[in-house]
Amino acid sequence: MNEQKIVEIDTVKIKKRLKQRKAKMKMSLSVCARCTLCADSCFLFNNNNKDPKYMPSYKFINSIGRIYKRRGKVDRAALEKIREIVWKDCVLCTRCYCPFGIDIPDMIAFARSICREQGVYPTFED
Amino acid sequence: MEILNLITSDLLYDLARGPLVWISFLILILGTIYRTVKLFSFTRKKKNAWPVSLPKKKAPDGDTDKSAPLIPKWKFTVFGAHPVMISVSTVFHVILFIAPIFLLAHNIMLDEAVGFSLCSFPEKVTDYMTIVFLVCGLFFLLRRIFIARVRAISSVYDYIIWCITVAPFLTGFLSYYQVFDYKTMIILHMLSGELMLAAAPFTKIFHMVFFFFGRFVLVTQHTIGKGSRTW
Repeated sequence: MNEQKIVEIDTVKIKKRLKQRKAKMKMSLSVCARCTLCADSCFLFNNNNKDPKYMPSYKFINSIGRIYKRRGKVDRAALEKIREIVWKDCVLCTRCYCPFGIDIPDMIAFARSICREQGVYPTFED
Repeated sequence: MEILNLITSDLLYDLARGPLVWISFLILILGTIYRTVKLFSFTRKKKNAWPVSLPKKKAPDGDTDKSAPLIPKWKFTVFGAHPVMISVSTVFHVILFIAPIFLLAHNIMLDEAVGFSLCSFPEKVTDYMTIVFLVCGLFFLLRRIFIARVRAISSVYDYIIWCITVAPFLTGFLSYYQVFDYKTMIILHMLSGELMLAAAPFTKIFHMVFFFFGRFVLVTQHTIGKGSRTW
């Protein structure tokens, strides 16, 4: 019942979606100073031996950042990796703090919506 | 060959101290205006946003645990979490702005060029400032190389931006003390400074503007004040 429907990745649609939110996404990615001051505001980071993969900036750069860098030309394997980041490593509690005011949760939510649109999302068995 | 080298270095020197200065300032000013206007055009005035601060109502005495130790408010801020990083960062950014603006040599040149100059710090003060700046820069570099969490999100681009930011200060210091060949060093100083100015609006250095926009103008959970715009 929970089996995921395998659909072809529609890169044109991803590109279109990126275009809709381009301004905020591009600005957020370009001004991130990679300072890592957001790290300690994430409870998952603090409760996983401070593993860098749980840092809000790491999740945002490696999810929507990766999709944007490739201008939407991502394959299923890449989206599946992003799925792990945006669903397993982040619960969208929206508590992350960025000294510059980058809206990291919104960026992660955007990456989720792109993945979901392409049929890549977590199932109950995961 | 030597004559050719002399001509090239003279040409580069004249170029760096002349048109390139104005071009880089023009790029900095117009680029910053362009990107700031874009920031405003991407956002809109907030309407019916929920209150970002809670009403200031004192809790009744019975609700507070008097035996609990009082933790100062600042301990819960980013300064409380990273006091060293925030202190170093603040010093680094303040010097980055004030040292070149109030440097005696820069002001003398400004006076010669336009007949107007700002006040200047004594040279010893700007010297110490530069040393402190370089130490702060080294701190950032070592942090980027050796701390796992910073290394995890660092790319070649971050190191390039670090070089662009630190190079004008390092070359300026070396040229002032005439370490290595003075002319080469002063040309490098001017070129690196111009590169930093021109790069500022179009690279991550633009966080100099976005910081104020993101923290004071945009309405988010961490807005300082009320904020007035949303994406």
